[in-house]
Amino acid sequence: MNKISLEHITHRYGDNKVLEDFSFSFEEAKTTCMIGPSGCGKTSILRLISGLEAPQKGIIKINETVATENEKILIRPHKRKIGFVFQDLALWPHFTVFRNIAFGLKGRKTEKVSHQVTQILNLFGIADKAKKYPHQLSGGQKQMVAIARSLVHQPEIFLMDEPLANIDVKVKENILAHIKLLQQEFRFTMLYVTHDHQEAMQTGDKILVMNEGVIEAAGTKKEIENSSNHFVRSFIKL
Amino acid sequence: MKPFIINFILLAMIGLTSCTPSSDEVVVYCTVDQVFSEPILRDFEKETGIEVKAVFDTEETKSTGVMNRLIAEKDNAQCDLFWSGDPLRNVVLQSKGISTPYQSAQTDLIPGHFREKDYHWTGFSARARVLIYNKNQISSDSLPQSILDLTQPRFKGQFTIANPLFGTTTFHMAALSTVMGQAPAKQWMNDLKKNQVVIASSNGDVKKRVMNGDLAFGLTDTDDAFEAKKESSDVDYIFLDQQEGGMGTLIMPNALSMIKDSPNGENGKKLMDYLLSRETEAKLAISCAQMPLIKGTEVPDIVPSLDHIIPMKIDYSQSAEILEQIQAWLKKWVEE
Amino acid sequence: MGGRVNQQLARYVPALLLALLLLGPILALLVRWLSSSDDIPLLAFINAGTLLLVGKSLLLSCIVAVLASLMGTICGFLLYRLKFPFRGFYKILLLLPLLVPPYIFAVAWKDGFQWLFSNSTVINPELGMIIVHTLVLFPLAMLITGTALSQIHSGLEEAGLMRVSFRKMLVKIVLPLIRPALTISFLLILIISLSDFSVPAFFGVNNFTTEIFTQFSAFYNHQLAISQSFLLVILCLILLLSENRYLSDAPFFSVHVKGSSTKHYSVHKGKTILHILLWILLLVVLVLPLVMLLHQALSGREILFSRAWELLSPTIYQSAKLAFLGALLISAIGFWVAFMKERSHFPHLNTMLLLTFIIPSTVLGVAVIKFYNHPSTNFIYTSILILLITYVSRFGFIAARIIGNGIKQVPVSLDEVSRVIGIPPIKRFFSISIPLLLPAIFTAFVLSFVLCLGELGTTIMIYPPGTELMPVKIFTIGANAPLALTSSMTLISFGVTMIFILLFFLMGKLIFKRFRYE
Repeated sequence: MNKISLEHITHRYGDNKVLEDFSFSFEEAKTTCMIGPSGCGKTSILRLISGLEAPQKGIIKINETVATENEKILIRPHKRKIGFVFQDLALWPHFTVFRNIAFGLKGRKTEKVSHQVTQILNLFGIADKAKKYPHQLSGGQKQMVAIARSLVHQPEIFLMDEPLANIDVKVKENILAHIKLLQQEFRFTMLYVTHDHQEAMQTGDKILVMNEGVIEAAGTKKEIENSSNHFVRSFIKL
Repeated sequence: MKPFIINFILLAMIGLTSCTPSSDEVVVYCTVDQVFSEPILRDFEKETGIEVKAVFDTEETKSTGVMNRLIAEKDNAQCDLFWSGDPLRNVVLQSKGISTPYQSAQTDLIPGHFREKDYHWTGFSARARVLIYNKNQISSDSLPQSILDLTQPRFKGQFTIANPLFGTTTFHMAALSTVMGQAPAKQWMNDLKKNQVVIASSNGDVKKRVMNGDLAFGLTDTDDAFEAKKESSDVDYIFLDQQEGGMGTLIMPNALSMIKDSPNGENGKKLMDYLLSRETEAKLAISCAQMPLIKGTEVPDIVPSLDHIIPMKIDYSQSAEILEQIQAWLKKWVEE
Repeated sequence: MGGRVNQQLARYVPALLLALLLLGPILALLVRWLSSSDDIPLLAFINAGTLLLVGKSLLLSCIVAVLASLMGTICGFLLYRLKFPFRGFYKILLLLPLLVPPYIFAVAWKDGFQWLFSNSTVINPELGMIIVHTLVLFPLAMLITGTALSQIHSGLEEAGLMRVSFRKMLVKIVLPLIRPALTISFLLILIISLSDFSVPAFFGVNNFTTEIFTQFSAFYNHQLAISQSFLLVILCLILLLSENRYLSDAPFFSVHVKGSSTKHYSVHKGKTILHILLWILLLVVLVLPLVMLLHQALSGREILFSRAWELLSPTIYQSAKLAFLGALLISAIGFWVAFMKERSHFPHLNTMLLLTFIIPSTVLGVAVIKFYNHPSTNFIYTSILILLITYVSRFGFIAARIIGNGIKQVPVSLDEVSRVIGIPPIKRFFSISIPLLLPAIFTAFVLSFVLCLGELGTTIMIYPPGTELMPVKIFTIGANAPLALTSSMTLISFGVTMIFILLFFLMGKLIFKRFRYE
């Protein structure tokens, strides 16, 4: 069970209101892609769900348990079983690739952990980079490490904030395919933020189109393509 | 082009920030407390029109100052006249070839043993070593009468002296070694340690501790004692070893030395002549109870007169030599 | 070809000039020392006793550095990363111990102890020295680590929070990322504590620094004192060079976070406890000494504030002017040296500033006198230029380090992209480099101003006769003035410095707001 629901969320940064009475439930074990122009609140939703921020008003439930309520974070981020790939990756510069991925796994120096980390590095084809530092990797390799770091903990919820922006198409497809496989295996709920509507259409089981903190449309690929919403049609260039 | 512009700007800055040397000035380095010496220097300025540029000193345990500056500047003297609170430093300068003889016309007024035989330094206005005591901690009839009494068990842990490596306490120890002999003086100091003498950081610290009542009495100088009496009615002071046949009290004259190859030698001599005068001694008597060496100088009643004090009979230059011999031992004594 | 030659000239001529001005005195002293014809063999002073003293000095100063760095880092985190009311107020107040000369702090604190507990002799001398140095120097650690903490990209911490508890994230992510700041603040405090003799002398601690000082002030034995000082210098050099090479310059410490935000943590439950703890700290480090100074100032037979003002007021303008010029020069040179090190890979100037920084103040004074006290350089020696050169020697390294850390935060790409576009160097410098580095430069400027304003150890040896400076006057008058007068003067000096700090704080708020990109 990994259902996420946001109820009547209002969230602002200073005077800038990002979300106003926003409510939505994300389907469990499915991939929801969020698209929309910059500043529409996509990243804010991810940060609220992860517990890194709390809304001024509203409730966030994970698996029917209230995780955040009106500025109070009731369940700490590391207890929510969430994997989060940040927009700027946030790889720890003083840790090797291995350590970046292993950090937080119980029994870091054990065989089990070593096996876990090696397995996921192999999955992404970067096992030979295990002892390198982030500053020694290419942009694409860094992104793979960031994703591997989030997935190694077998999260129930996986949040990705434009994680594949700088990767070439073939590598991107390869990574997405791997993530999809892992999702089928571990049944995690994935929220994927992207600017690329084609990528969203290909990746998402459900697509959420947002604009200025409001949901313009939500549905499957077909439902979005058939949407009569003027914003949706012009944003996706239908 | 750019480096030349940078260099030009630098030169312009140098020009703007440099001092324009004054044609009529005198540079004096002074270890006598600024509160007492500065007003006299200002008076000299007013009366002669010669600008006085002074460098004053701090207590020796707080920073290295005037003496080290003089020694470092030896090869290109900036100072014209050195005004010291005691002659020991002037002897050090003489031994390092930094001072030069000058016999002021005023010198005839000063008793002969208060100057160096070749006029490398000339003394005036003296302080004395005294015992300052807190009236609430000890009554006047219980006080030690001789410096040797400090080793008596009844005074155990009740008194303080300043660090004998610095300032006038060094001078005092050297003088005692001269008068008593080195071995007895060292024995006496060891007995002080056994009697739990408290070593203060400076004469000022001695004054403060006695004023606060932390300790019953301590050895310091007349100007410190005078200041203490002004600040607190709980303190007073006595001269030790004033009994018939006693050792006497150490008298420490201010001492003036002309500096060799100084930039304003003539003005330095004028200032020296001015300082070696009844008027200056009178001013120092009023401000800090310093005792005039020139007979007939008018002083307030509260200022003791040298005529009524039995002085310790020492040769200052000899004391300076003995100091060199005992300094290493004094250092060990402090550290143990 | 001509352009290349000009470039080389532009780099090397000012560098050589700076080296001559700052390093020249030290090298000349070193040559003089090595070629001395005195009977004492060169290293004869190194014996078991000396080594014990050196060990004792290092141990005491290490303890100070550990305690001060720990206190400073905790305060840095609390005040620079937590969100709670009045933290700006606490930030300023906790910086103020830096403004009080350590000696005066020692006297005030010991008197305070005496007043509260009727007995100050329970304080062991070594403990007294450790406590005073820790309390006076921890604000330096707070400033350095706080600035570093403010420059960690929030994502790095948030990624950690997704995995582990807050406490573990602090220990495993944040602390390693600010390791350069931790090590440099440790070493700076170690060296400053090691070089100070006024506090150990006050408490009667016998260590290597008081030994050097005794050789100068009691024995006038410059040769031996300088020899001993060079031993201390070599030790400090080994420490600092190792730190430079293996810790702060390690390749993965380029964090490159300019333009991104720092995470601030809200305090919900522990607000009251936090305020109580901060107030206890303020009480000990600031309130008690100030109250004691006030008590001393008012407990004389007469109130001497007006007399103190009369004595001190002529020095204020001169002191402030010199401190301002000194801070400007230090910041400018610090910026240039840091830039050359971080961007032009020319670290020699930084090494030079490091060398002049670790020289004990009296030795620096002697070196400067011997080098500049010459008829041909009288125009330097007899003017305020000599003081400015000394200030740069004493504090240039600190400024270069602070600004250097700031430069490390700025991605090279920001400059590179403007080069590719074709923006000329001077425009790049003023439009890109300076705005991005202004917070670091400003921090360096304010710290340099405070340090210059209070500098005594070297100043007292070289200030031009007739120049009146605040710290010098307090100590020369204090040699035999009533305690009330000295305390009054100290309070006035403190007040004056505070006014400047407040002005700088207000200016800083504007600069930091404009240039933080949050």
